[in-house]
Amino acid sequence: MPSSDRRKDKAVAARPWWLGAAVFAMGLLWLHGAQGIASTTNFIGLGPAAMIRMVGAGLAILGMLLILQALRGVPFMPQEEEGADAAAPPSRPAFLLALAGIAVPLATIRMLGFPLTAIFAFALVTHAFGSRRTLLDLAIGAVIGAASWYGFSLLGIELGPFLPVAGW
Amino acid sequence: MDVLHQLLGGFAVALQPINLFWALVGCILGTAVGVLPGIGPALTIALLLPVTAQVAPESAFIMFAGILYGALYGGSTTSILLNMPGESGSVMTAIEGSRMARNGRGAAALATAAVGSFVAGTIGTLALTFLAPAIAELAFIFGPEDYFALMILSFTSVAVVMGSSRIRGFTALFCGLALGTIGIDTQTGQSRMVFGTLELLDGVSFTVVLVALFAIGETLYVASRQSRRAAVVYPLSGGAWMTREDWRRSWKPWLRGALIGFPIGSLPAGGTEIPTFLSYTVERRLSARPEEFGHGAIEGVAGPEAANNAAAAGILVPLLTLGLPSTATAAVLLAAFQNYGLQPGPLLFATNPDLLWGLIASLFVGNIILLVLNLPLVGIWVRLLLIPRPYIYGGIVVFALVGVWGLSTSWMDLLLMCGLGLIGYVARVYDFPIAPALIGLILGPQAEIQLRRALAVSQGDWSVLVGTPIAASFLVIAVLVFFLPMIMTKFRGAVQQESKA
Repeated sequence: MPSSDRRKDKAVAARPWWLGAAVFAMGLLWLHGAQGIASTTNFIGLGPAAMIRMVGAGLAILGMLLILQALRGVPFMPQEEEGADAAAPPSRPAFLLALAGIAVPLATIRMLGFPLTAIFAFALVTHAFGSRRTLLDLAIGAVIGAASWYGFSLLGIELGPFLPVAGW
Repeated sequence: MDVLHQLLGGFAVALQPINLFWALVGCILGTAVGVLPGIGPALTIALLLPVTAQVAPESAFIMFAGILYGALYGGSTTSILLNMPGESGSVMTAIEGSRMARNGRGAAALATAAVGSFVAGTIGTLALTFLAPAIAELAFIFGPEDYFALMILSFTSVAVVMGSSRIRGFTALFCGLALGTIGIDTQTGQSRMVFGTLELLDGVSFTVVLVALFAIGETLYVASRQSRRAAVVYPLSGGAWMTREDWRRSWKPWLRGALIGFPIGSLPAGGTEIPTFLSYTVERRLSARPEEFGHGAIEGVAGPEAANNAAAAGILVPLLTLGLPSTATAAVLLAAFQNYGLQPGPLLFATNPDLLWGLIASLFVGNIILLVLNLPLVGIWVRLLLIPRPYIYGGIVVFALVGVWGLSTSWMDLLLMCGLGLIGYVARVYDFPIAPALIGLILGPQAEIQLRRALAVSQGDWSVLVGTPIAASFLVIAVLVFFLPMIMTKFRGAVQQESKA
């Protein structure tokens, strides 16, 4: 069976109704948010809540349509990207490692600063992509992190202190 | 003559040593990101947006134009030598180009692509030079209801054309519109949808959304579904550059590609996919050797590659004249204009002629730089493909971090980057287009302003929205665009039935 057919079969079997539910919930959130915006009495035409209400209603309707699409078995196929095999089964460890690399700055950047955070993020992402040369990855990450911090600060882009925990 | 005079003034700006330097930087960066996977012109420009605070607007836009055109040149290199079209506009180039490379004619394919890009890019820029001021003049007569209708047309076009389903296209668009409503309402000063978070009062940064949806979403997606097939680079050595026969077979497709690409690229959501496909079909029909198509016909590289570059120039027409972005890259360019407090449109031609004409002139200069960079130096660019994939994506994440953290060292921006990056991943897994979300985010607040302005002027009378012939025409076209897929399906069905009969 060609890979595109396999992809389609898998996509039909998946029926991701929860996508529509999430969009519907977002619509409700926006409709609810519109309630909390005080209407200005001296404003002619549309007030500040109108656009929120329109967008909320649109998202709610689209959410319902997406649920219908999913339940009717309309395929939701993974996109073709350079370097990715859309038909391949997703690798959870690789995904989680990459996600860790992206999320690690949330935990470290305010305490350890940009260069050290960049080292961890770089090494985690390279490991997600199959690299196992940890020391080399850390070293390359250190060079890229420090060079970016210095180079961009010359261009006037402030990336915070070098190592905040040490007061640098 | 006035246009020529203005263009000469533009060259005086573009040829200043500092601007030539920025054009060269842009062309090198653009070609590099065109060759490398995972990073495109939109993301590169977005990551460089903070730099605009330190660089003069002329220089920044000249660099961005180099990135825009350079990425197209770089994209053709990977399409031909790796059979890996980096973006949809290069798909048709890859079909014939990679076959030529496999047959040992990679050098000729690269040459026809580069010269074709140069010819079409120059023709497209020439058309932009004469057309843009005329369209900008037209925009002077637009009222708020006309602008609103034009934006509705733009929204409908991107939601319908980009992506596999209208529902998913509109979902992406509405998500972008929703993000655009977060922050302080510019007309009444009230905070909206900030969920009690002070950091959200300024709204969601366009750069954060773009970096998250493109760089982070793609990194997560490719990491989880890595292709195990090793990329095969067809060797260049030994192959001849273009022969006299190749030139004879290429020049007409270059011109035809430019003529097809520019007008379609100028339409809202015209993009590069349709003109390149159309150019390929036309060349196959007109070719004296149609049997060569599918086996490495040089016309199949020359035409689509020219169409691709001319369409890129076309995309600048609605952006510079009406402030209307029709692709993700154009949306980032619009964000860059806004960073400088500028609004592209008719007034910009009057108030900032140096900037606009310098930018247009730099497109001519950039094309020459790119031709020099890409033809003799293609061997160097191919070496970029030897960088191991883990390091490319590791580098992308670090630069994404620079782009987001460098905005205002805000932890909330990082949190948004992670959250929206996950949404970008889900969008790729379930086939939602990304560009409509970006266009909704950047154009939504402007559409709201125009709508409220029109209704304020008309004292709340909604009929004002169809009250002028321009507004009514745009809305009718928007409705037609909405039903376009249905009409196309019926039309195709009828044609198939007829051919069976």
